[in-house]
Formats: sequence, structure tokens, C-alpha cells
Amino acid sequence: MIRAARTWGWAAALVAAAALARADDATVRAEVDATRIGVADQVQLTVTIEGRSAELAGDIALPALKNLRVVGGPSVSQQISFVNGAMSQSRAYTYVLQPTAVGKAEIGALQVKLASGVKTTAPISIDVVSGSLGGRPARRPGDFEGLGEDPFESFFGRRRPAAEPKLKVVAAASRPKVHVGEPVLVTFFLYTQASITDIQLADAPQFAGFWAEDVEAPKGGPRGERVAFEGESYARFAILRKVLFPTKAGRLTIPPVKFRFGLARISLFDAGPRAVERATEPLTLTVDALPAEPGFAGAVGEFDVKASLDRDTVALGEAATLRFTVRGSGNLKWVDRPPDLSLAGAKVYPPQTKSDLKVGPEGITGSKTWEFVVVPETSGALSIPPLSFEYFAPSAGTLKRTQSAALTLQVHGAAAPAAAGPAAAPAAATASRATGLALRSDLDPPGRRLPVLGPRSVLVTLGVLLALHAVIGGAARLSDRRRLAAGRPASRQDVRGALGDLERVRRGRLGKEEAAALIERTLHGVFGAVTENGGPRGGEREQAIRDVLQQVQFIRYAPQLGDYSEAIRDVATRAADLVRKWA
Amino acid sequence: MRRVVPAFALLLALASPGRAETPAERFRAAGEQLRGGDAVKAVATYRELAAAGVESASLYWNWAQAASARGETGEALWATLRAREIDPGDRALPREIQRLREAANLDPAEIAPEPLAALERASRRFHVGWLVVALAALSLASHAAVRLAPAHRWPAPTAWATLVLAGALGAVPLAGALARPTGVVVRGGAPLLDSASTTAHSIGSLRQAEVVPLLESSPDYVRVEDSSGARGWAHRDDVWPVEP
Repeated sequence: MIRAARTWGWAAALVAAAALARADDATVRAEVDATRIGVADQVQLTVTIEGRSAELAGDIALPALKNLRVVGGPSVSQQISFVNGAMSQSRAYTYVLQPTAVGKAEIGALQVKLASGVKTTAPISIDVVSGSLGGRPARRPGDFEGLGEDPFESFFGRRRPAAEPKLKVVAAASRPKVHVGEPVLVTFFLYTQASITDIQLADAPQFAGFWAEDVEAPKGGPRGERVAFEGESYARFAILRKVLFPTKAGRLTIPPVKFRFGLARISLFDAGPRAVERATEPLTLTVDALPAEPGFAGAVGEFDVKASLDRDTVALGEAATLRFTVRGSGNLKWVDRPPDLSLAGAKVYPPQTKSDLKVGPEGITGSKTWEFVVVPETSGALSIPPLSFEYFAPSAGTLKRTQSAALTLQVHGAAAPAAAGPAAAPAAATASRATGLALRSDLDPPGRRLPVLGPRSVLVTLGVLLALHAVIGGAARLSDRRRLAAGRPASRQDVRGALGDLERVRRGRLGKEEAAALIERTLHGVFGAVTENGGPRGGEREQAIRDVLQQVQFIRYAPQLGDYSEAIRDVATRAADLVRKWA
Repeated sequence: MRRVVPAFALLLALASPGRAETPAERFRAAGEQLRGGDAVKAVATYRELAAAGVESASLYWNWAQAASARGETGEALWATLRAREIDPGDRALPREIQRLREAANLDPAEIAPEPLAALERASRRFHVGWLVVALAALSLASHAAVRLAPAHRWPAPTAWATLVLAGALGAVPLAGALARPTGVVVRGGAPLLDSASTTAHSIGSLRQAEVVPLLESSPDYVRVEDSSGARGWAHRDDVWPVEP
């Protein structure tokens, strides 16, 4: 948007300065309407800039005023004239000055900064006398733009507004029917019979359904031409050119584009309009669709391709650059899909894209280059197949395929790391690593290591062993129960274990309670539960066991008033005798 | 006749020079290719050996060196981790893993997303499984001794102590087994997809050499979770599993 406004600013300036005079022809004049005035009078200072390059590089700074003060202005008027299709410009800045005292007054030298350089005017001297010289009315509020009353108004009454200026803008397409992606030039022409001081876009133009590109204005500014339009003679200027690329098929309409034109005053007393707006008529284009083909990236225009390598031979591990260039005219700017490049025996890095494109009336012309870094990974001849590029040719109305020539890259040996350039840094690293690789010479011999026992095996093993624990413990417990129920003597191993326990008690290393508990547990373990009234099978044995157990109970619960070791040893001896005798 | 011809062809194939080359010879030949700078052929040989069932830390070590020489950091890290899976006690592997991690500019956590996997590796490295079995067997023997030789007092505490120790040590590999399987991103910028299909949309990209947990799998895709917590599907060609 800003770019468009700038373009229009330049276009307006160029239209306003369309005279063929050279830049050096610009002149600056400072004039007063009288050099002798009364102290009650006013004097008009007019600074006039004329020429093709009458553009100010800054504001006009009033010169030093002696015995004068500014009471009005500046008012600015411009005039543009066309001579043989070229334009010249005149711009006048008018100030109203009032003397402050009788005597000499002076307007100093005026320096005006123009685009073409600084211009200086000569100082002006004015004689100021007392009173008024008559015929020079003092300025009153509401005067005609500060320049006095309209002198014709007293004769002809208030003048009617000026007639509407004859001004038209027309949009014209270079062709009415295009394909999607095919460039079409749309030119906005100004037809005028009036002097234009300024051109602006009233609204931002809308190009729905199009990519829009500005076409650079021709150097030297737009050239006008005299044409007949609607039965009248007009000056015609191309004020805006756009290259549009349709993005979809169908009937696409470019809506009206509205411009605002500044009009030059015809005279100082011209009360006509200062700015008018004009809009183009809607412009409709017919856009045909492109053929749908797999692999077609949407390029439209006329193109040619070329592939090249930056070197013919390369050391193994070094990099080569493959450039694939598409050159032509069309919508190349929007073709961003690189060609598919996959090489067996080489590593191909994603390409970098470089463009050299220029927008012109025929579309976008120039070239687009994809640069691939190719790092061969095997020695020998590396074949790079032809790379194809498919595009739609509007002139033929069909898809065309063009392809580059096949290339061969000779790869030899290994690269010296020091010889590798920056682009081949990864490859150089590869080569240097290849020479210093810490490789292992042999496979690990099978069966050298203990096979790994997985968690599942561990779990199963633990489960099995716990089950075996349970089986062993359960079987022993069951066996004891059966033996005791049957009244069978304990097994030889149990008797031996019981005697061992009793022997430990007899050694006196256990405490009183601990020794008593062990004797009791041993007897119960060997003989089972001993009933109070004796078992069915042996009163003597039961009685003897009961006696020992009672003695054990006595020792266990007896107060700790003395040494029971002798009593414990005695009970243990009796228990051992019981075991030996009855078990 | 129909049976004779295939049998004859099989005999010819077995008698051919290519068949005569052992895995060890091919491994050495690949090493020579790699020293000569032909990393592509070396990697191809290592890949064939692995596909043929040769599981060796040395194979994957050399594979990692070849991939690293080609600049394929993700593949190199994958091969190194595979070597560590085969031989957790190889002391050269942790250094190489750290070197590759730094080359890939990854944090330590980004190559070890499953802390429990370290327990599993430790149990394999120190053969904790066999230790558990031995302790359990000792416990069983001690228990049996309690019954068979009641006169001796040591079997009972020995049985209990070894049983408890076996249970505690057995928890290590069992806890390690809870670790999720992982994979290594072998392609930089591999897309993270919203579904496991060819029409899936990319919802992000994966960093090369990042180790990601494998949550699900389909024939061509695996569902992964990256270090930022984003979950999605990745193509199997882009994410290679570490565990066999």
C-alpha cells in the first residue's frame, strides 16, 4: 500500500513535471507588485518557480524583512502546461506584506532549495511613504484567498463555479482471456483536458483473484500523447501499470479503481474545484484453468532450463555444487518447488534458491537457480540424470517439458582435509574421520558372554523356587502331623536334631526363658502335644514328659532370684534321656 | 525332476564364492571399505549382517562410526545405543554416546527418556538375573538342609537371608522391564503426524538423534512422545527402535 502511494506520488510528480525542459532550466523569481507604497498599504511578494524540476527540496523560508511584516500567505498556485506532449510547471508562492514605518523597506535575498539545486533571488527595496498611495486596499479578513477581492465580481456579480473538468480514467487489459498464472498487463490511462497537479489513489485497488505486481514507470516520466476519445481530443497518460497473475479460473472482475486528481488553478481568481475523483469501469477477464497433471508445479510462460556442475572431478568426501537454472518469462516468481534430485552414492543437501527476476509488461522475466550441494559417498563416476521442468505454455495451450543435459562427476580417492573449502566442511570432516576411525576388527565371538536372563525368566525362576520352598516346608509339616497322629516315633534325623538342641541347652549358653522355650519346643516336636490326662498309648512316657514340662514351666516363669543354670542343665539332661528312651 | 532342479540350484548357490564369505569376513571387509572412505557400502554391509541375525556390539559400533562419518548423527546414536543394548558393559559406548549427544546438541534427558531402562541395563550388565537364580537356589538348598539336617543351625537363617536377597535383587530387572521401548529419530525434521496414515497432517517435527518412547505401533508407523510431551505418529523409517 505504501509502495503504491509512493508510486503514485512519483507518478503525480512526473505528470506535473512532464515538460521536456531540462532539470537545469528551473528558475526562481521574486517580485513585488509595487516598489513605492504608503505605510497604510500592503505589498504582495510573489515567488515563482518555473521549470520541469520545480520540486522543492524543503520549505520556502522567507528572507530577512526590513521594515516589513507578513500579514498573509503564503498562498500557492500551480500551473501546468503541455507543449508537444511534454509538460512544464509553474508554482507561485504569494505573501502579503505590511510596512511598519515610513522609510526604506527591504526584502532580502531569497534562497530556494530545489531538487536540482539552490536558487537565489536578488534583494528588493521598497520606499514607504506616509499615508496611503490609494488604490491599494488594506487586507481585510475574508478577502479572496488573501489576494484581494475578485475584481470581476463587482461587475458581473458572484461568478458561477467553474465547469467540471474533462477528466477520465480507463483501465485496459493487454488481453481479455488468459490462463491461471499467465501474466496480463492492466494499464490505467488518464484522459485529460485539464492541468493536473496531483494524482493519488482514492482507495487501495483490489485485485481479488490475482497476484499483482507493479511495473516500473519508464525513466524520464510518463509520456503523454494526444488522442481522440469520445469525439474529443484529450491528452492521454498511462498513470499506472500492473501485471496481474490470475490465481484461479473463471470470470474474474477487477473492480473500479478510484483516483483523486488535483487541478491547477487557471487564474488567481479561479474558484473552481481543487480536486476531483474519477473511477475506472469494472474490467472483466476470462481465466482458463491449467491442466491438472501430477508433478506440474504451476509454472506458466516460456522457459528453458540448464544444469551445471562447478567442477568435473572431485575427491571422495569433497562437495560439488550442482546448479539448476530455469530462465524465461512468466510466473517464475511463484515457482518454488525444486526439482527432485536423488543420487545413489551421494548425499544431496536441500538446495538454496537464487532469483534474478524483473517485473516487466510481459510478466516476470529472468532466472531462478536452485543450488544443490552434492557430496559423493563412493568413488567412481557419479551420474547426474537430466533434471526436468514442466510448464504450461500459453502460446501452445499445452504442458511442455524441458530438461537439462545429463552430467557426470568423477569422484576419486579420498580428500585431503586441508584442501577442503568451507562449503565442503562436513565432507572434509567425513574424510578426516574416515582416516582416523576407531573401528573394531572382529565381531564378538558368539557365546563369549553369559546369556542374559530376562526379567520374565527371573520372575518365573523366583516363582518356581518359592513354590519349591513351600513344597518342602509343607511336606515336612505334613509329615510331622501324620507321624504324631499315628504315634510313630520321630525320624532319626528329628531325634538327632532334638538331641542337638538339648545339648545346646546343656552347654548353658542360652538364657533362662530361651532355654526353657527350646526344651519345650523340642519335646513337643518329638512327642507332639502332651495331654494332661495322658495319651492312650503310654502312661509312663506321658507322665515323664509332663514332669519335665512342668519343670520347664517352673524354670521359665520363676522369678530371677538366682542362678538357674544348674536346673536348666538338669532339665535338659532329663529331656534328652526322655528323647533317647521314648523317641 | 521338479525336485532335482531346485536342489541342484541350492547346491550351486551354497557352493558359490559369495556364500563362502563368513559374517566375520564381511565385517572385516566393511571395515576396510569404511577406512577407504566408502561409508555407504560399509553401512550397507552392516545392515545386511544385522538383517541376517548377526548381533554384535562390534557390528553396531562400526555401523555407528560409518554413520557418524556420513554426518548421520541420528543413525550413529541409534547404532551406539543398539551396541549398548547388546553389551551394556562396554566402557567405550558411554563416551561415544556422550560425544554424539553433544554433536546433536541434545540434553542428557533427551537421549534417556526412560530412567527405568537404566535398571534393566544394569541388571543385564551385572547378570542380576543369574544372581537371583543362584540366591534362590541357595535358599532352596538351605531350606532343604533345614529339613534334612536339623541338627545344624545355619541352614534356616541362610535360607531366609538368601530368599530375601533374591527377592530384592529380582526387583531390579522386574522394575527395568516396566520401561517403555524407545526409538531414535534418525532423520532431522522428521514429521510428527496426527495419525498413522499417508494422508496424515504434520503437527510438528522431531529432532535428529532424539530418543523417544514408543507408545504404540502400526505396520508403518510408531506413536511417539517427544521431549516436550507432544505425542504423534512418526514413520518407521524416521524412528528406529533401540530395543530388539
